[in-house]
Amino acid sequence: MTRIVFILKELGRSLYRHPGTVVTSLLSTTLLILLFNLFWVVMGTSERFYENLLSEMTMDVFLNEELPDSNLADLTEEIKNTEGVLSVLYISKEDARRELMHQVGTDLLVGYDSLNPLPRSYSLTFETKYMNLADIAEIAGKLQTLPGVMEASYSRGWLEKVENTKSIILEIGLVLGLIIFLSALISSANNIRLMTRTRVVGFQQMLLLGAGRMFISLPFFIEGFLIGGLSAVLSWLVVFYGYDRLTFTRFEVVIPALNEIYLFCLATALLGGISGYLGVRKLLR
Amino acid sequence: MTGPIVELKDVFLRNDRGGHVFRDLNLTIKVGRSAVITGAAGSGKTSLSELLIGLRFAESGLVILFDEVLKKGKKRIIKRVRKKIGGVGGVFGLLPSLTVAENITLPMVISGVRKKIQQERLLKLLSEFSLLKQAGEYPPNLTRVESYLVQFARASIAGQPLIIIDEPSAGLDRKTYQRIFEYLVKVSLSGRSMIILTSEVPSQQIPETDCYQIENGALE
Repeated sequence: MTRIVFILKELGRSLYRHPGTVVTSLLSTTLLILLFNLFWVVMGTSERFYENLLSEMTMDVFLNEELPDSNLADLTEEIKNTEGVLSVLYISKEDARRELMHQVGTDLLVGYDSLNPLPRSYSLTFETKYMNLADIAEIAGKLQTLPGVMEASYSRGWLEKVENTKSIILEIGLVLGLIIFLSALISSANNIRLMTRTRVVGFQQMLLLGAGRMFISLPFFIEGFLIGGLSAVLSWLVVFYGYDRLTFTRFEVVIPALNEIYLFCLATALLGGISGYLGVRKLLR
Repeated sequence: MTGPIVELKDVFLRNDRGGHVFRDLNLTIKVGRSAVITGAAGSGKTSLSELLIGLRFAESGLVILFDEVLKKGKKRIIKRVRKKIGGVGGVFGLLPSLTVAENITLPMVISGVRKKIQQERLLKLLSEFSLLKQAGEYPPNLTRVESYLVQFARASIAGQPLIIIDEPSAGLDRKTYQRIFEYLVKVSLSGRSMIILTSEVPSQQIPETDCYQIENGALE
């Protein structure tokens, strides 16, 4: 019997002798990972939801009454060249009046054609990577220093709320991820420790014959690797099954990319392997 | 290897009650020689075997096997030394989850010896110790004598240069003891070394063997 055959036989013996523990370990790890997967999907989906919301965000740059129309072309160019600005739309006094009429439902300025008090303005949109409170505030600050600009107005309060919500979800995700990570590690290690407790005498004899700790613990590393990997695959299959069955019309559910899922399954399998090793490590002292 | 196979120099070992198991224990076994160490129960025979396989470590003095000093924490050295030792009785036992054949070949599996060589030596030993019928059995199904014989076979399969035997005659009938004795003589004549720890002085002399007695934590 070669070393690899011996290790595989030991693995087979362990799985064959403790089917209940193996299935319990597999199911409990699958559930834990499923919880993590669902939160991963929720995080991705909320991220996309906020991206969509933010993509509709605009900034209004109001102009002074004194600014002559002849300076508009230069100002437009200067605003377009401001870092982070994606598009610039000029809104004349008449456009503003039409917009007001559209919003209110009636023309409030009837009879005041020559006295239209609405200011000229620009409506700006921004590149995605600048869609955050700090960058938008910086752009607004820059624009307000331009000659002829009266005010740069944007929904600061709304943006703050969006950012707060995003950071809360991220924080919850990190804490939840950590809890699940530790739970999976401890649960798998304990299951394997339970399975190996009856074999302490055998381990000690193998150590006396000169076997290394790696040689003895390798079957349990492989077992943990298989349970971890299989649990990850099963939990993603459940997610895909649900995704296939349910339809969402109000928002788009974002499933992580396949290569990310492959990497996650591999990482989970490795984590399972480590927990398997940890499960027997104490018995080999 | 240039020096003796086993060398203990001024070894001091405490017991759990604060006293000593060994005090200035000295022992030298040259290559090809063996030692029979007798002592009453509790005199430290098992502690001596534990010292020799790196299960316990001396508070002072040196434990040298195969030119390597056994020290706490030197896991690689201990692993290397253990591969050269075959053990029977005492702390040595069989793995209950492996068959007799698997137990016997385990030292060779650990050392990575080729399967063909394993099989050849296994067959020879199974026939030598009359264990052919028990090859597929698990240790819990063996008699005490059979279990002992399996340990002897395991201690020999990889050609280990040193065999530690704790109480070779314990519980054996006269006929089996005679077989074991013949085996011990054969091992001794083959140039391999043995340390036989026993509470009874052997009735027959094993060639190439020196006799010692543990008394008050030292060898006399």
